[in-house]
Amino acid sequence: MRKLLLCIGLSLCTFVFAFAQTIDLSGKITDAKDNSPLSGVTITSKGSKAHAITGTDGSFTIKINSKAKSLHISYIGYDEKDVVVGTESTINISLQASQKALNEVVVVGYGKALKKDITGSISNLAAKDVENFPEPSFESAIQGKAPGVVVSSGSGKLGQAIQINIRGISSISASSQPLYVVDGLPITTASMSDGTNDNTNPVADINPDDIESVQILKDASAAAIYGARAANGVVLITTKKGKAGQKTIVELNTSHGVSNPARKIHFLNAKQYVGLIEQSAINDGTYDFNNGITGYGSLSDAVTDFQTNVYEPVLDQFSLGTDWRNGAVNTNWQNALFEKNAPNNQVNVSVTGGSDKTRFFISGFYNTQDAIVINNKFSRYGTRFNIDHNVSDKLVFGLNLAVDRSQLNRITNDDAFSTPGQLVAQLPISPLIDPSTGLPNKQTLYPSGIYDALYDFDHQVTFRTIGNAYANLKILPSLSFQSEIGADILNLNENEFEGKESQDGGGVGRGSTVISQSVSLNTNNYFTFTPRINDDSKLNVVAGMSYLQNDYQHTFGQGEQYPSDAVKNLSGATSITGASTTNSRYTFLSYFLRASYTFHDKYLISASDRIDGSSRFGPQSRYGNFPAASLGWILSEENFLKDSRALSFLKLRVSYGLTGNSEIGEQQFRSLYSVANYPNLPGFTPTQLANPDLKWEKSKQTDIGLDYGFLKNRITGEIDYYKKHSTDLLLNTNIPLTTGYASIYQNLGSMDNSGYEFSITSRNLDGGFKWTTSFNIAYNKNKVGNIQGQIIQSADALLRAQQGSPIGSFYMQKFLGVDPQTGDALYADPTGKPTNDYESAGRFIVGKYTPDFTGGFTNSFAWKGFDLSVFFYFVTGNKVYNAAGRFMDDGFYNGFDNQMTEELNSWKNPGDKTNVPRAGYYYGSGASNSTRWLYKGDYLRLKNLTLGYNIPKSVTSSLKISSARFYVSGVNLLTFTKYPGDPEVNTNVVSNIAGGEDFYTIPQAKTFTVGLNVKF
Amino acid sequence: MKKLLITIFIFPAIFFIMPSCNKKLEVLPQNSLTPDQIKTSSDVEAVLFGGYETLQNYGAFGEQFILVPDLLAADSQVNWVGTYPEYKDIEFKRAISTNYVAGTIWANAYKAIDIANTVIDKINIVDTADQATIQGEALFIRGTVYFELVGIYGKPYSDGNAATNLGVPLVLLPTYAYDSVKNKPARASVADIYKQIISDLTTAVSKLPSSNANFRADVYSAKAILSRVYLNMQDYVNAATQANDVINSGNFSLNPSYDKAFNNNANSSEDIFAIQQTTQSNAGTSNQGIVTFYAPQPLGRGDAQIDDGYFTFFDSLDFRGKFVTAGTSISGFDGNYPNKWSQFYKTIPVVRLAEMYLTRGEANLLSNGNIGSVAPIDDINIVRKRANAIAFTSAPTSADFVDERFRELGFEGDRVWTLKRLKLNVDGYNYDDGKLILPIPQTEIDVNKNLVQNDGY
Repeated sequence: MRKLLLCIGLSLCTFVFAFAQTIDLSGKITDAKDNSPLSGVTITSKGSKAHAITGTDGSFTIKINSKAKSLHISYIGYDEKDVVVGTESTINISLQASQKALNEVVVVGYGKALKKDITGSISNLAAKDVENFPEPSFESAIQGKAPGVVVSSGSGKLGQAIQINIRGISSISASSQPLYVVDGLPITTASMSDGTNDNTNPVADINPDDIESVQILKDASAAAIYGARAANGVVLITTKKGKAGQKTIVELNTSHGVSNPARKIHFLNAKQYVGLIEQSAINDGTYDFNNGITGYGSLSDAVTDFQTNVYEPVLDQFSLGTDWRNGAVNTNWQNALFEKNAPNNQVNVSVTGGSDKTRFFISGFYNTQDAIVINNKFSRYGTRFNIDHNVSDKLVFGLNLAVDRSQLNRITNDDAFSTPGQLVAQLPISPLIDPSTGLPNKQTLYPSGIYDALYDFDHQVTFRTIGNAYANLKILPSLSFQSEIGADILNLNENEFEGKESQDGGGVGRGSTVISQSVSLNTNNYFTFTPRINDDSKLNVVAGMSYLQNDYQHTFGQGEQYPSDAVKNLSGATSITGASTTNSRYTFLSYFLRASYTFHDKYLISASDRIDGSSRFGPQSRYGNFPAASLGWILSEENFLKDSRALSFLKLRVSYGLTGNSEIGEQQFRSLYSVANYPNLPGFTPTQLANPDLKWEKSKQTDIGLDYGFLKNRITGEIDYYKKHSTDLLLNTNIPLTTGYASIYQNLGSMDNSGYEFSITSRNLDGGFKWTTSFNIAYNKNKVGNIQGQIIQSADALLRAQQGSPIGSFYMQKFLGVDPQTGDALYADPTGKPTNDYESAGRFIVGKYTPDFTGGFTNSFAWKGFDLSVFFYFVTGNKVYNAAGRFMDDGFYNGFDNQMTEELNSWKNPGDKTNVPRAGYYYGSGASNSTRWLYKGDYLRLKNLTLGYNIPKSVTSSLKISSARFYVSGVNLLTFTKYPGDPEVNTNVVSNIAGGEDFYTIPQAKTFTVGLNVKF
Repeated sequence: MKKLLITIFIFPAIFFIMPSCNKKLEVLPQNSLTPDQIKTSSDVEAVLFGGYETLQNYGAFGEQFILVPDLLAADSQVNWVGTYPEYKDIEFKRAISTNYVAGTIWANAYKAIDIANTVIDKINIVDTADQATIQGEALFIRGTVYFELVGIYGKPYSDGNAATNLGVPLVLLPTYAYDSVKNKPARASVADIYKQIISDLTTAVSKLPSSNANFRADVYSAKAILSRVYLNMQDYVNAATQANDVINSGNFSLNPSYDKAFNNNANSSEDIFAIQQTTQSNAGTSNQGIVTFYAPQPLGRGDAQIDDGYFTFFDSLDFRGKFVTAGTSISGFDGNYPNKWSQFYKTIPVVRLAEMYLTRGEANLLSNGNIGSVAPIDDINIVRKRANAIAFTSAPTSADFVDERFRELGFEGDRVWTLKRLKLNVDGYNYDDGKLILPIPQTEIDVNKNLVQNDGY
């Protein structure tokens, strides 16, 4: 505050001591490209304090010292220019938009800055990075494009939540997902649909084609202006806007594509299945006889008994009387779960333009997409209207408004029998169609997902309105005030129906309806102060406040006993089995201040502070303070480097700051009783024990970075090292159940993330044939600090957050192979010695689901009208666990499920050397969770290959269009991995501890798209 | 200049105005209440009613107080053919300390105990006229839950080492704030837990009314459970006395036919204490609840099937052996299912009058007593006659009572306790084998170093 007053004082002096002997000079500043006027351009006079800014029509008037020789023109995003002042009193100047990456304008919290002046670590992505990608949500498109940002979409199901971790996971129990801010408005990103199914992704409501740029704030210096919500990084999304004086452009983007699974697991066919069944009968019979369990008279008696009384009845039962001995039926159930050539279609139309006073961007879009799995579709349409209007030179109003509707037709989660993903468990000898009814076969080992797909549905419709209005008042040339008020209104309607015939319908029919509403109201009010101190110094101060209030309401009703499948909503349910409404609110009140000072264009210093108050904490610890500071030094501006031919830019950045996390849901600090509904006895039941001292989780982050440019910036890039130390973790700690409670939130423990990021872009060839290569790689190391011996594990107890190990470490029995004599699975006991007794095996940390290295490698070529881009994505150092292994690769021990082809190598006779233990429903081995199904998750994927052709001007102009591009594109075309299925899967999307588990999870899609972009 | 001044004033003004926003940071919960809102007599009563919900929970009588004992004594009773390996492990006596069923029972039971402790602690707020009843019900809940807990996690009382065998932690005070030292109790001995159960239930008997509204616990609920407790302690005189009091109360009568004792919308005439369920309040319908597991597809999952040996216990006329349905499990296995648990949302009998006859008869037989002045043969025949079974013509033996209890109370969680009480082998294991009780949940041992794990885990 004191600093601010000082600044105001300084600028005051500037005005008082203005020179008297002056001349008036006026003129107009335009864009060299299209002669459109540029407003807001700063004009200064060398050697004097004179200062002017152009109006909306690009015109300016400046009083300069009569002795002044030149004007200095600067404008964000354009090359600076010095213009010699002659005798004329009017001067028209055109500015060239800057081409260099370093002069990019970057959106930062509550303002904009030139990339070269930034002292924090920010990843910038442009429209071209997110458009034309065949996924509903833009996050999928940025995978591998921003170092240190790990995007995991988890499966080929559409509309699922996507996990994004920026510089590792910094929390155990609180969310580790970043804050999303669209045009200054923080938006709702948490799933609001039916809690028994997978989380969905509200970010999919943003049309990727409306996005102008995405900035990912990674270090504390960049993010701390968002204080208590910034510990996981911040994703700033800016939507497209019109430009002043721009000719109206109509743009049409349309694309059509087809998708198929990128990778499949191989399962047994009917013949192989029957073979394995017969082998199991031999195994069980032999084991039983050799160990004298039942007391058979001979080995052949034993085997025959198992054959005729255990195994073959299963084949008889499920083959529905077909001749399984001769392979009458050979069903590939896996094929039945995929929709072949699942189509997707997108149409996007936008109109953009502007006059001196008003600029606009209008768009409308429609897209439909089928997932590669049956019954899963996503469709969406909507519109955006962005407008900015200059009331006067001093006052600008604007509005960014998007309205859309999306519909997601869902399938049940991976754990449900009714999910198509579990069809692979059905026997290949089971007919797909029941010959006696002509309908899909119901007499399958497990309830058939095909049956449920016929009779069940789960449709989720979301209406989303995100709007932010602002007014910007230029109080003084150096002082402006911005006031924004915005709302994010999300309405979700989910209708679920399970017909009487389906397994989930339980023979009675079941239905439910969910109505969720989340309304966020946000206001930002801040001053931006850019006093002119002298030629060598630039100061930018932002100070203001913001208030965010979110109200959430969730209404739920469910019923059963449907007379038939004719009426599919709740009005058809003759018995209501549940209904409830839940409401919650959270609020954040924040004050922020940031000052950035640039000296001699080479010394940069920035400091910020944010004070956040939130309803999520009790009165004792409601407010948190989140300061940050950073320094930058542009070495290439120093005399000793200035003349270097090779080096064109070099900047050293150092930052340190504090950010917070409070994403633990509401009311966690109180003791709570909920309503209990025992019949006729309305009551209360204790559900939560208080911790009134609960406070913010904090992350201290240090970042050292280097931005470089070589050979006239043909080679540019960044190198960063960071260290993030998170303390006072908001930990959901187990307490003895004898208290009556399972856990309470405590500020306990710490976690460290540290890593490196490296990126390089090289314009290898810049002539008629253009070739650009970009490469980025990031390494992150996570370590859970002292959590006081708390054992924190995933629901299936296979993954842990354990002190001294990375979060999300797999913790299980080590599989050592197979005893060649007995076929028994061998495990490591606590001392590491082999044992065939699973119960006496030790459990060990055996890897983690988070990768060590992630990165992307892109080569872009352009020649004449053609352009080609080849993008590879890779991750290494992670593990993937096939959690369904104990059903699909267990040699029937846990059921008669169809098996992976790996089982063909299972142990058969003493002396066999194999890694697959003895099969057998009774006396099989190795069917419990162990590293047997833990695989290296490293993979390299040809994520995207796009070939485009720009139709020549001669053709387009005769067609009266300004440009047209035709392209073909492929996603996930090639995958190199050791995992037998798709390595990019995760049945527990959005969890800090659980991840990298494949449980009948739908693989990623391989998609081919053709598209057309036309500008009129 | 003027504008600048205005600016300088506006700026601090914003900072000063905003503290009024501070009020916006105080947001009260809208779906639940805070403890300071529990102030009146009816509030305390509501907390007590919450205790009944914990008894209905699938971790208690809603499923696991019944199904887990059934699986522990699976021979001739139940085969787990389903996909939840944790239940199969209990049946095969190979559960490990992380078996989640052991955790679910424990968590829910101590929640019930905490509720009871809270009600007892706040009893002074309750209107004088209701105090005795409410306190009696809280004690009934606490005593009943401790009885189930000590049986599931502790060695049987009958093994003679109750004073040294470990029971479960004895928690008698409510938790209002977490204290990382005080809230880590060690396990009390089996004898101490039994002492507390007797104390709770006898005090409950002295406080509870002879009948209570809405199927809440009354004096006979407490007496019926008390008869079970004494029977387990082989205190046959007291067991017979309590059972006799219930029989002679005149409040209960056997249903004319056996099937009428189950799948009712409210307590039947022979229910002494039963769990109520409705479509909106129940133990679970998809992955939890006794019916979910014991009813075949498509209604239930049908994971628990009747073992074929079950049918050998019945004479050809005995209706109880035919009170079954053939069906298919969710994993495709055909088998038989008990009709006792064939419909959702019905009452779950916790203790029925038929058991009181069998208890009185057996206790009289084993103690050579004549409580109620009814011969054991008459008690057993009352039960058999109702089921249309052939009546005993000569005096039944202790073994006859064991079998009769199974015939009458199969799939109601009784068998394992009867076998252990009489030191009979259970599924080929010695009655005292450590594998016949569940492990203390591993998560509980992890957070409370004062706990000692059971042998065999």
